[in-house]
Amino acid sequence: MSLMPDPTSQRHWHLFCRVIDNFGDIGVCWRLARQLHQQHGQQVTLWVDDLSSFRALCPALDYSLAEQQQQGIVIRHWAEDFPLLSPQQTGDVVIEAFACELPQSYIAAMQQRERTACWINLEYLSAEDWVPGFHLSQSPVHGLSKTFFFPGFVQGTGGLLCEPELALLPHQMAEGAARQAFLSSFGLAPALADCALQISLFAYENPALAGLLDALQAWPQTVHLLVPAGRVSAGLDDWLGETTQAGHTYQRGRLSISLLPFMSQPQYDQLLAMCDLNLVRGEESFVRAQMLGKPMLWHIYRQEEDAHLDKLEAFLGLYCDRNNLSDRMLAEHLVGAFRHWNQAPDSALAAGAEAHEHWHGLLQQLPAWQTHAVAWQQQLQALGDLASNLVHYATDRV
Amino acid sequence: MKTANEFRAGQVLSLNGQAWVVLKAEFNKSGRNAAVVKMKLKNLLTGASQEPVFKADDKLEPIILERSQVTYSYFADPLYVFMDEEYNQIEVEKENLGDTLNFMTDGMTDVCEAVFYEGKAISIELPTTIVRTVSYTEPAVRGDTSGKVMKMATLENGYELQVAAFVEIGDAIEIDTRTGEFKGRAKN
Repeated sequence: MSLMPDPTSQRHWHLFCRVIDNFGDIGVCWRLARQLHQQHGQQVTLWVDDLSSFRALCPALDYSLAEQQQQGIVIRHWAEDFPLLSPQQTGDVVIEAFACELPQSYIAAMQQRERTACWINLEYLSAEDWVPGFHLSQSPVHGLSKTFFFPGFVQGTGGLLCEPELALLPHQMAEGAARQAFLSSFGLAPALADCALQISLFAYENPALAGLLDALQAWPQTVHLLVPAGRVSAGLDDWLGETTQAGHTYQRGRLSISLLPFMSQPQYDQLLAMCDLNLVRGEESFVRAQMLGKPMLWHIYRQEEDAHLDKLEAFLGLYCDRNNLSDRMLAEHLVGAFRHWNQAPDSALAAGAEAHEHWHGLLQQLPAWQTHAVAWQQQLQALGDLASNLVHYATDRV
Repeated sequence: MKTANEFRAGQVLSLNGQAWVVLKAEFNKSGRNAAVVKMKLKNLLTGASQEPVFKADDKLEPIILERSQVTYSYFADPLYVFMDEEYNQIEVEKENLGDTLNFMTDGMTDVCEAVFYEGKAISIELPTTIVRTVSYTEPAVRGDTSGKVMKMATLENGYELQVAAFVEIGDAIEIDTRTGEFKGRAKN
């Protein structure tokens, strides 16, 4: 969907991204940059410290260049020797993503601007109940005021990233021809699109993986498990007893396991949209699966002192809240499954008959889960999307 | 300089050239081992208040003020009255006590620190660890002595906090005043 931006609301945005690990940081920033430009007509410069990681998501990127343009976005390498910019060269809106620190020289240039910039710290996603109380709070630093902007799942937060056209994708990918074409594009047999159950798997290393694979193998219908390249591959190789390769499919009974190469964001969206269940991780894929209205099981990023478990429980508190999910049997299964997938089970649940019972019980709930996923998606959409909420906030201030 | 997460109620910092007393500091982990702190601050000159948020590792300038050791005497609305070692009465406005109020109780013997700004007591800092008595909590759960399972408990002044499941009514417990969290059962 293409919207005509209001030219009077056009601003120059500078978005700063440090790649800490994996692709979540740059994944979110790249989506946000494109949406700000394509949907809202904003001029966007994206500063990235690690262009080689970025290239995995944007293959056209030339990481030898300090500055280039991709899809209408100016990409600049955020090198250690940050260039000296004049105040006029700084952004009208400056976003430091995920609490990264802006270069001192850049802050000094911001301090000298005639018209104060709208400086935003785009924070991590959390469902915890303190988030609305922190959202849009001001931070008086360096003689300027910075706004803390929190994405979130409830009113009083900044919402989640989502392009208007995303909701149409599951309908498009429900077509057999679209599924077959998608599989073929990765060298996979189109007939795999006929498997009764399509599941995507994107996770960190996970001791519960073997139990899941055992259960999928024992499932009475055909299952196609699609696994994009990533940190779960070693566990998969262990279970299969062989070294897997992208573009190949491994058969174990009724279970077909296809390995996929690292894919672009639009391709990953298609994968999520065509699957009946998505196992996702971190923040980026977790949000995409929800905004597509698909059942998803989240492998949360592990934090010190098990802080991630509080965040997991906070999310489950919303996702499975009685007001959002009246089917209490489904809620019970979901809570059990999310905890099981995230808490490195050392019990019998990790494998064997109890694991089968656990996973099969969950899979039997898939039709009800799909209904819940769509209702949840609609609830999130009602919050407005993150990019639009940012534009609305910043436009009023610069 | 101190990081934002090192400040707690009663301490004073400089912001844009002005002195602000911390009435409340709320710390939360935001993601990937990063954290944020929301403070309730009161301007010591104008009385204006604000509630800024900082990254936990943001550097802020503390203001070192005169201090003296005091113990709590009584409450004469809206003033809390303390006594120093020389039996001088020191009055602090209730609204300046912030989170410290949660642990104020009649008969408390904790040696606190009164903080002075231009000769006036502007806040009270409690010791890092204090002992309070539980006036109500649900019965203890048999068999769980790990301390990991928590439940609500009410202190004698009505303040509620999470305590370990084995805590019973009448127990004396240790509380960390920096976080307001239960530390353990008080040692005899």
